[in-house]
Amino acid sequence: MKNTIDAKYYDGQSSAPLKAIVVLNDRTNEFHLQIVGEISFVWLLKDLQFEQYGHILEVRNTNYSDAILKIDDKYFSEKFYTAMKQSNSIDIHTRLLNLGLSKITAIAVCLLGLIVLAYFYVLPPIAEKTAALLPESFDNEIGNLFMDSFLRENNIDTTKTKYLEQFAAELDLKNRNPLRFTVVKSKEVNAFALPNGQIVVFSAILENMESFEELVALLGHEASHVNYRHSIKMLCKNLAGYMTVSLIFSDVNGVMALLADNAQRLHSLSYSRSFEQEADEQGLEILMNNKVDPNGMVKLFEQLEKESNIYIPKIISSHPLTKERKDNMHKIISESVYEIKSNDKLNSIFEYIKN
Amino acid sequence: MTQNTNQKKNYDFEFFGKGSEYFAIMIVNWLLTLVTLGLYYPWARAKRLRYVYGQTALNNERFHFAGTGKEMFRGFIKIILFYIAVMISYMVLLKVVKLPLLAILFLYLAFFAIIPFAIHGSFRYRMSRTSYRGIRFGYRGNRNEIVKKFFKWVFFTIITLGIYSAWLQMNIRKYTHQNIRYGDVEFSNNANGGDWLLLNLKGYFLTIITLGIYSFWWQSEIFAYYIDNMRMTKGEQRIKCSSTATGGGFFELLIVNFLITAFTLGFGKAWADMRTQKFIFDNVKMEGDINIDEIHQTEDEYTNAFGDDAMDFFEIDLA
Repeated sequence: MKNTIDAKYYDGQSSAPLKAIVVLNDRTNEFHLQIVGEISFVWLLKDLQFEQYGHILEVRNTNYSDAILKIDDKYFSEKFYTAMKQSNSIDIHTRLLNLGLSKITAIAVCLLGLIVLAYFYVLPPIAEKTAALLPESFDNEIGNLFMDSFLRENNIDTTKTKYLEQFAAELDLKNRNPLRFTVVKSKEVNAFALPNGQIVVFSAILENMESFEELVALLGHEASHVNYRHSIKMLCKNLAGYMTVSLIFSDVNGVMALLADNAQRLHSLSYSRSFEQEADEQGLEILMNNKVDPNGMVKLFEQLEKESNIYIPKIISSHPLTKERKDNMHKIISESVYEIKSNDKLNSIFEYIKN
Repeated sequence: MTQNTNQKKNYDFEFFGKGSEYFAIMIVNWLLTLVTLGLYYPWARAKRLRYVYGQTALNNERFHFAGTGKEMFRGFIKIILFYIAVMISYMVLLKVVKLPLLAILFLYLAFFAIIPFAIHGSFRYRMSRTSYRGIRFGYRGNRNEIVKKFFKWVFFTIITLGIYSAWLQMNIRKYTHQNIRYGDVEFSNNANGGDWLLLNLKGYFLTIITLGIYSFWWQSEIFAYYIDNMRMTKGEQRIKCSSTATGGGFFELLIVNFLITAFTLGFGKAWADMRTQKFIFDNVKMEGDINIDEIHQTEDEYTNAFGDDAMDFFEIDLA
């Protein structure tokens, strides 16, 4: 077996090329170098690093990192690669590269497919489990944080807030933890619930209501978001989702920015369809438990829908399937047995809130 | 042994990088970064740089980037620690000391102050890890000096309402370049802020007047300004660099790159990047009498990648 070849050698002291004769011994995993007219020495394969440029092989020794041995021979280059592979001196990156572009691409596409599947089917349940592990103090902390900054930019309507508190006190909202109610002055038709039990109602949405049942429906719906910790669950889901996406794009810094970003936008957090449905159904149950006409929920939807012709309210725009939701309500109402009691107290407080 | 020194030598740059090869590297990088949950990132970066350097040749001998993932990983950890330390101090100032204004000021200053350190560290690391024919490049700038100068220039920039930024940029360039060595070859740079300001003012207004068309010629003037001001000397021997790029050349390069990238949903970026590198090295001409067979090793090794990683982490870009 002839493994002897002429090569070029740079000694790492001067930029002048030297002539060398190289013998590769693939049984002892050694390189014998004879610099023409000068010394000869041995390089062990385990100490070597190499670059392949077509047939050209550039070999460096990690113990003398500046010296370069340059060999231009296809046969030798292949032989060398095999010897290096056998002595396990080739890193994973180079091994993968040597599979060829089409195989690498195929692996990448498969992996991407798996991630997309995981994103839709594995991530949501994991995120929900994670949310369950978070203590309720976390809900309060993040809710307070948001409310503080929200109130810096919005004005509370103190009178209406007082009435709304009285109104809510008359209801059983099935809450485990205390709820707080605030009315803010705004032309935006909107309402939202924060994980700390804070429910914020915008004044414009109240102006559009015709009956107290609608307000009970709204509070029932929002209270259910709190009771079922929907925003924390969504937060976990979004976070996990974003993390997957930044991982795909190898964007390590993105995750940091994301945490801040999500806390900022708590009130426009759009819930998933199943969470909205849950809040609708639980809200409906609250209506019935309080002996309030459950059709108040349907009326609330209709009110919001009407409004959307002039001004697209966030509460609707984030869930475009109003018709489906209304049908669902009708269906449940028709299947339920419920009792309605006229409630003068709620009605009179509602009149105060309206005016 | 030094031979006749006045003889003109040939210097021929070539870039051999291929889009398909670069693309394959990017995909493997992506795969490994993904399965290691991002930890492979520094190694991926080393692989990418090694390819680009290795495909660049002068007189048929290739450059070499010797930086390793391990070094860059160490630098990366340092950056993360720095980032965490700054954030903790910020939170303490904000929540415990309750001085929000001071906290924000501190945050800006901390991230701003890292820039000159990053520039210094990046040059030291990159140069030390770059070699050609077994001879290392090196950077001999003094850290305290550049930090002091940097803040002085920034101060001038602020009091001149930004006008001095042209000098800031060119002064940094000049300072860093004149401290580059390739063995016993010294680099220098003749750029100055005044010329740079005029060049950009002219480019800016002509671009507006011509509805953007002039931007390609502006780009080629910027490129020429960078290249034409570079010099190398070794004793009595010199090399002068000059650009052969034209506005038309830039027009073709950038338009085709844009089309390649846009029509492949970004996957063609690997090809576009290789075209850019090739364009650059095809358009750098060196003339002079330094004999590149007679360079001697003079520069020390430097393996701290903190500065280089900082540049990458905070996306600071020096052309």
